[in-house]
Amino acid sequence: MNLRDSIKTALISLKSNKTRSALTMLGIVIGISSVVTMVSIGNGAKQLIIGQFSTLGSNNIFIEPGSFSKKMEGNQGMQSMLEEMTIKTLKYEDYKAIEKDPLISKAAPLAFGAEKIFYKGNDFKVTYLGTTPEGINILNKAEFIYGNNFTEEDVKSLGRDVVLGYKVKETLFGEEDPIGKIVRIKGNNFRVIGSLDQQGTQMFMNLDEVIYLPITTAQKVILGVDHIQEIVAQAKDENRIEEAVESIRLTIRERHAIDNPEGDPAKDDFKVVSQKETAEILDTVISIFTMFLSSVAAIALLVGGIGIMNIMLVSVTERTKEIGLRKAVGARRSDVMTQFLIEALILTLIGGLIGIFFGLVFSLLASFILGAVLSISWQFSFPLNAVAWAFCVATAIGLVFGLYPARRASKLNPIEALRYE
Amino acid sequence: MNIIEVKDLRKVYSNGYVSTVALDGVSFDVKEGEFLAIVGSSGCGKSTLMHILGLLDRPTSGFYNFGGKNVFEMSDDEAARVRNKKMGFVFQSFNLLPRTSIFNNVKLPLVYGGLSDEKEKEMVLSALESVGLKDKANNFSNQLSGGEQQRAAIARALVNHPAIIFADEPTGNLDSLSGQNVLELLQDLNDDGHTIILVTHEKYTSEMAQRIIEMKDGKIVLDEKVENRKLAKNGLIK
Repeated sequence: MNLRDSIKTALISLKSNKTRSALTMLGIVIGISSVVTMVSIGNGAKQLIIGQFSTLGSNNIFIEPGSFSKKMEGNQGMQSMLEEMTIKTLKYEDYKAIEKDPLISKAAPLAFGAEKIFYKGNDFKVTYLGTTPEGINILNKAEFIYGNNFTEEDVKSLGRDVVLGYKVKETLFGEEDPIGKIVRIKGNNFRVIGSLDQQGTQMFMNLDEVIYLPITTAQKVILGVDHIQEIVAQAKDENRIEEAVESIRLTIRERHAIDNPEGDPAKDDFKVVSQKETAEILDTVISIFTMFLSSVAAIALLVGGIGIMNIMLVSVTERTKEIGLRKAVGARRSDVMTQFLIEALILTLIGGLIGIFFGLVFSLLASFILGAVLSISWQFSFPLNAVAWAFCVATAIGLVFGLYPARRASKLNPIEALRYE
Repeated sequence: MNIIEVKDLRKVYSNGYVSTVALDGVSFDVKEGEFLAIVGSSGCGKSTLMHILGLLDRPTSGFYNFGGKNVFEMSDDEAARVRNKKMGFVFQSFNLLPRTSIFNNVKLPLVYGGLSDEKEKEMVLSALESVGLKDKANNFSNQLSGGEQQRAAIARALVNHPAIIFADEPTGNLDSLSGQNVLELLQDLNDDGHTIILVTHEKYTSEMAQRIIEMKDGKIVLDEKVENRKLAKNGLIK
């Protein structure tokens, strides 16, 4: 029996039980489409992280208040997060000291929060970032469309100047030139001195919805605190980031009078992490998550495979007489076996193709939804590896789960098969 | 020349507790072009004998030469090949594939023969013509009457131009007129040179053959030429 005849016979048999074939395929469709979707979303998430980090540059170091241990022990997670927000250990002077480190090229202190900004009848909920003039340049690479950056003088004198992100300006002022206009934030008047071009999201923050204030103004006028929430520093040499991290730790320990010669991060009242490290951790977390979700999907695939085997066994029983007849007119064992294997293969391959199609549709949908919900540009990634893998798995499932029923069919005694009622 | 030579053939069925002797030392020869009827009551071993002769089953012991070849030395695949090229089968219940056209049903043995599409088509149509069903080639089996279905089954049996046709109670499921048509067909095929072995429990059907072997309890009790052979075309047989 040649391949074409086998395929024809298989198609006739599958067509004659349309509902059954479709339901059997459904298992494979669900399995394959879930695997493809999961892997695609995982790839998208990875690309997103790479993108979010890469616009910032690769040699950033983040210094935050609080110690590692507090976070790790936090089975009362929310509480430890709140604690962290109110930890007052990081000071403006720490930033000054880090800035002087010979391994560091630039550094910026950050004090931030969320407030509504008002202009005439309009208002807009924004994230305000208190930093230095250089801080704006580190965080936002966009050009100024209107006006200029604030100055060091503003930082020293608690200047009431504000730089607007692109969307803030668009929402409050539209086409109007915002320079010199007065906006209100938490009951204080601020003068707009600059507005930035579009920048998009970076480190999962939409920079177009951010306003920038002098660090001191943010601390004392808006937050009413004395400490800062974060320091961003950039290492001079990309290959010496680890060294720079260690140097920062030593500097701050000395300033905070922490006796920690063995370098146990649990004893510190601050944490220093490099962007590279954070990206690597996130990458690992996402990989594990993707793997976990894909294995759940793979179980669906396995169940689908068992469904195929089940239906093929039913088919063999149903067609016992046909098998007997085929043997009587000259079909060899291998002919019968091929026929049933091809039937199983066609079921899984069609199921696999439909599954791949739905997987791509779902991941495309997911990329739109995630992009809209998280208001970031989620890149749809065509999961070529997952598609290829899914295709191979579908074939393998067809072969593996089709083999047993096909063997059973091929071993039938023609006489018993012919007599079967 | 003998197409079949059987000596002391035995077939014992065993289910682990009870052994049943279905064939108990059967010996006979069949000449090429002969029309042989095997008769006997139910359970006499005639079907078992036909299955062994048709290479659908293997004997427990004895000697069986088909077309000069020792059947005991054949592998399963070789036996399948002999069935495909040299033998045709007609069953009591027709055994046509459902949801399959008559054309494709008749083509079934050719599917395992490795011929070109054109050759296959030619052979199928010629077989259908010889049973008078050429115009029903595209019908499905369930659209045909019982007699037509059995004729389609005969077309399937002879599509490969086999040396021998085995017919197991071919008229058993048919009314007498259709049965007569089928027997007429078999006689015509025999006239064309096909060897035919007909298994039946009806005496009048067996009288269509040239020779009758009667079986009882797995043994041959009678092996004789038919005097006054009946011809199906001469009228109703009942």
